[in-house]
Amino acid sequence: MQKTTKKKAKNIDPVVISINNISISYKNNEVIKNLSFQIIKGDKAVLTGESGRGKSSILNALLGFVPISKGNIFLFGKELSPGNIAEIRSHTAWLPQETALHFNSVKDIIYSLFTLKANKSNSPSTSEINQIFKNLNISHHLLDKEIDEISGGQKQRILLAGALLLKKEILIIDEPTSDLDEKNKKLITDYILSQKDLTVIAVSHDPYWINKSSKIIVL
Amino acid sequence: MKGVTDIGYLSLFLGYIILIIPFYILWYYKTGLLKDAFWAFIRMTIQLLLVGFYLEFIFDLNSSLLNISWVLLMTVLAAYTVINRSDLNIKEFFLPIFIAIVLSVLIIDAYFLGFIIKLNNIFDARYLIPITGMLLGNSIKTIIIALNTYYKQLKKEKELYKWYLANGATKQEALVPFKKEALIIAFNPVIANVAIVGLISLPGMMTGQILGGSNPAVAVKYQIMLMIMVFSSSIFSVFLSIYFADKKVFDDFDNLKKIG
Repeated sequence: MQKTTKKKAKNIDPVVISINNISISYKNNEVIKNLSFQIIKGDKAVLTGESGRGKSSILNALLGFVPISKGNIFLFGKELSPGNIAEIRSHTAWLPQETALHFNSVKDIIYSLFTLKANKSNSPSTSEINQIFKNLNISHHLLDKEIDEISGGQKQRILLAGALLLKKEILIIDEPTSDLDEKNKKLITDYILSQKDLTVIAVSHDPYWINKSSKIIVL
Repeated sequence: MKGVTDIGYLSLFLGYIILIIPFYILWYYKTGLLKDAFWAFIRMTIQLLLVGFYLEFIFDLNSSLLNISWVLLMTVLAAYTVINRSDLNIKEFFLPIFIAIVLSVLIIDAYFLGFIIKLNNIFDARYLIPITGMLLGNSIKTIIIALNTYYKQLKKEKELYKWYLANGATKQEALVPFKKEALIIAFNPVIANVAIVGLISLPGMMTGQILGGSNPAVAVKYQIMLMIMVFSSSIFSVFLSIYFADKKVFDDFDNLKKIG
């Protein structure tokens, strides 16, 4: 029954993410129980709710990083499985909450992603990089900085710039505005959520982000 | 040439007395290494004395099968030492690392003894055992450093690995920065060491050959070959160990499982 619905939906409203009755457990503790939702192309979905409700686990499950104990997940009509995972991940851009990722320089963040086979054809031009830096209120001088010369908020925006430059179909982000001041929070939220064709699924506690989202999933 | 001056057993025993100083330093700074160091020297002594007796015996016998068995035993111990010193799980890692070391040694021994020295019998005890011993002895440290760095970094920078995967990297692509780091950390000192040989250090094999009465020119040629062989075998071992062990370290979704 579910499959028929999904197929139909694919033809009319392309369902990008379909989560069907999933459960996620950590050591006998079921953090997600029988959860289902669908996200269609261009949706700006946000998962919100109190801490410890398994919001980040859902994002991780979407990418195959956290196992589901029940149900199934479809991305682009493909079931999340060992055989499909590489293909699915080649269509996603991901910005984790943990931005303590080790890089040497800002250029590393931007360019390392485009050395990958799946992204090579999308390598950005200098003007594209400058444009996205401008849109995200990042000074273009930062491109020549070492990683320890920039702040947490700047790093978060640069990681975001990298994710957007990938031009993937889905952007998966965990607390995208957590390290940002009010002004940048609004600017970044408005910019990401105004990308028409981009499907976004985020975890956020930020009221501004939540209000601007087209689909709110409260856990 | 004059033969080498023998060391009497009493003198040998007196030689151990100097260890009091390094052991005292290890104890004074509470490094926790004293016990390990003590047992390492005990083990070394027993092993070498046994090898001394054994080598005399097998050099006379020179049976290929026996020589190969001895080399395999050396490799088992090498694999065990690598795992033990890298805090890895013996059950999961023994086979991959053992196979990696055996393959590396096999390739290098065959190349060196069969192709370069052109021995009629590459299993000749006088060549196979000491050369393999030198290969293993000199590459073990590098393999340990490389594997330690690789798995420690992977555990520490798990989020970075995931970041690459989730942004389109294949597993192999996502592992590149970790392999790169492991190779740099492990092989930097090896390369530095290769560069100073002859100037600051006189390597053990060459010194041994010269002391044993060999022509220094021959000793030098052997040493050059050996440095090349050790370097190559270390890289092969690291590369193959990671290649084989990676099959056990990741789940079907390329996630890092618990290691060590």
